Amino acid sequence: MEVKLWQAVQAILNGILTGALYSLIGMGMALIFGVMRIVNFAHGAFMMLGMYATWMLFERLHVNPYFGFLAAAAMLFVLGYATYQGLLRRIADRSDFMQILLTLGISLILTNGVQLIFGADYHQINFGLLDINVRLNSHVSLNLPWLLAFGITLVLGVGMFLVVMKSRLGRALRAIAQNRYAASLMGIDVMRIQALSFGMGLAAVGVAGGLLLPVFYLYPGAGDQFTLKAFVIVVLGGMGSIGGAAIAGVVLGIIENLTSLYWGNEWALVVDFIVFLLVLSLRPSGLFGSQRV
Amino acid sequence: MTRKRALIAAACFVLCLLVPLVVDQDYQLNVLFRITLFAGLGLAWNLVGGYAGQLSLGHAAFFGIGAYGLVLFNEKLGLPIWLAFVLGVVAAVGAALLIGRVAFRLRGPYFALSTIAFAEVLRISAKNLTSITGGDVGVQAPALFDTHPSQWFYVSAVLLTALAFTVTALIVRSRFGYWLQAIREDEDTAMACGIDAASTKLRVLAISAALTAIGGGLYASQFFFIVPDQVVGLEISNEIAIIAMLGGAGTLTGPLVGAVLLETATELFKSWFQEAHLLIYGVLIVLVVLFLPEGIVGTVARVWRRRKAGS
Amino acid sequence: MTALLDIEHVSKRFGGLRAVNDVSFSVKEGEVLFIVGPNGAGKTTLFNLITGFLPPDQGVIRFAGKSLAGSAPHIAARLGIGRTFQIVKPLRNLTVLENVMLGAFLRTRSTTEAAAQARKVLAFLQMEAVSDLPAHGLPLATLKRLEIARSLATRPKLILLDEVVAGLPTAEAMALAELLLRLPEWGVSAVAGVEHVMQVVMRVAQRVVVLDRGTLIAEGIPADVVRRPEVIEAYLGAKYKQVTG
Repeated sequence: MEVKLWQAVQAILNGILTGALYSLIGMGMALIFGVMRIVNFAHGAFMMLGMYATWMLFERLHVNPYFGFLAAAAMLFVLGYATYQGLLRRIADRSDFMQILLTLGISLILTNGVQLIFGADYHQINFGLLDINVRLNSHVSLNLPWLLAFGITLVLGVGMFLVVMKSRLGRALRAIAQNRYAASLMGIDVMRIQALSFGMGLAAVGVAGGLLLPVFYLYPGAGDQFTLKAFVIVVLGGMGSIGGAAIAGVVLGIIENLTSLYWGNEWALVVDFIVFLLVLSLRPSGLFGSQRV
Repeated sequence: MTRKRALIAAACFVLCLLVPLVVDQDYQLNVLFRITLFAGLGLAWNLVGGYAGQLSLGHAAFFGIGAYGLVLFNEKLGLPIWLAFVLGVVAAVGAALLIGRVAFRLRGPYFALSTIAFAEVLRISAKNLTSITGGDVGVQAPALFDTHPSQWFYVSAVLLTALAFTVTALIVRSRFGYWLQAIREDEDTAMACGIDAASTKLRVLAISAALTAIGGGLYASQFFFIVPDQVVGLEISNEIAIIAMLGGAGTLTGPLVGAVLLETATELFKSWFQEAHLLIYGVLIVLVVLFLPEGIVGTVARVWRRRKAGS
Repeated sequence: MTALLDIEHVSKRFGGLRAVNDVSFSVKEGEVLFIVGPNGAGKTTLFNLITGFLPPDQGVIRFAGKSLAGSAPHIAARLGIGRTFQIVKPLRNLTVLENVMLGAFLRTRSTTEAAAQARKVLAFLQMEAVSDLPAHGLPLATLKRLEIARSLATRPKLILLDEVVAGLPTAEAMALAELLLRLPEWGVSAVAGVEHVMQVVMRVAQRVVVLDRGTLIAEGIPADVVRRPEVIEAYLGAKYKQVTG
């Protein structure tokens, strides 16, 4: 009996750690979808790029991923800015339909392009640090790489939150989210700010990718499941709420881990979607959102 | 559509039916089967996505139900195969009513996302219900035709496409068709004109699901051995939607053009550069969205209309 | 004359904002009533409540004696309440004729019949010339007429016109007003317009109801109501004085 309780505790703790990365991915999506109303189906694919970038730095230049992720983030920021200016802004006025298809196309190009270049093989990285576990007591232990990821995510997540809430860029962004036309009338360069925000959103995902690399498998399709999870997180947290997405990410992590514990790994994704559908049906504004669906 | 056009269409379909008299190699017939099948699937999607303007990215759900319906009702429950086929279609319609009831209350991207959610729930459930579907290992689908299967599968696909084409043509000229397009353009206006938008959307989804499920059953039986990722996967949903978009969503002949182009291109690229065909998909989608948002047929029609108005 | 539409103590809040505050009035069969008030007075909200796009928080709305009780918009339309939208909503990818046919389809299943009905309505509104043009890209005045045409084709008993002449130059507005006077020919027994272009109101309205920030503050024949100090002070201002002075 006691063992079962500790198992649940372990699952919840693992869920919090996993959830931190989800939060980061979710915050990136909250920025892009929640605030900018861009339906980004390539979210996971970009994260996968971040993973490959971090991996390349590790394999070729022996850069530790816990530093390499910064490079991945920078690369994705630039890529995001360029993608927005080059492709997405052209359909900024068109229907969501078109945005979905465009980002879907981008996702296919990225995923299959990577597969052509690097092959479909699974890769995994390994170095001493990764095997260390921090023991809390005889029943519960925490994996060091996840702990590191959690810590870094916490810092960056808070940073991102502060940027969006307190900085001039963040204020401009929120103004655009509320009323794009009015914002442009007030002298805000809407296109440039949106490009920067898209870059920021992808940078967040790049960080998540880099931090995920040590504890996950690397293959071209690695990011796909995260796109859908990101949407679930944004809906759960509430539209337009970056903080909500952060909390929702952790909540989702916990739900997934508990599901894995009691029903097996395979059902975790199903539970994600059921949560998604329930939220949309019963409480469309999410946990913390203010906008109606 | 005028009588003349209807006769031309009928003639084309009859010609297609006669193809097996000329082509008798299994491989070629299978390729033609695939092209024709996806033309029919594209037409089925077009009713919901093109005319009603509801972007469904979860049509694989109906495809998969049609496929696994055969397996479940015939293989596992021992019912006669054609009855199993029909039951699969009925099940798909039931699923459509359920999914639609929830999904159609959502606007914009949430609708699309919820259709994906439903299809994914179905796919993962199928993977886990190994007693029925064999999980990732797969299961054998029963044979619909014992003699000359390649020929008969091809003919069935042509018949399905002809059915979908006829249904679409009839709907477009009718009051129901106007309702669909009104809902696409502006749902509030449609309701102010007395259209029960919720019920209309459910009805068109049911029709679309039935046609798609027929396609699923045919595909499963022809392919012989199916796995969930293949018949309930995102790839099927995306492929169907892209075919209709590429050819021209909301046009009658668009999905036909789209299917011929996309499936032919896929076959060609599979032989030249096998890995790249999904990459080509991606590039195609991006190009179509940026430069040909109305699809090929839609753009041609628009240009032609402008020429006519100008002269 | 019996009341066609009864609004009884209807209220609607959005968070802290009382958009419609305990409003009561009636529209009789055959009359032309206008609801007047500045932007934000609650006119469009009231229309959304009547046509079922929003449910009221309090109060009852009766049409031909039967309570509407938050029915869905398509039910209101089928019962005979037609409506135009303040921001024109043409069905952009259809032609003008097809737009109007959509309204006609409420009364017939047949495509040919709907087309015939639509052409009649378009002739009445002097729009035959644009019948076969696509609805997008047309001038605002034409689109406003299209709104009316589409609603008229549903053969309503009551038509709610939301800011139907807003944004039009005076000549266009007055031409449209003349057409509105002829609506009884179509068996439209009552017209409730929402207007702040006073020339049109004076020309067309038999009775006027004045809203101020969600509350009904005056009711009566136009000539009387416009003289009342509270109304003049709050709404009509200098522009009206110029017109009648």
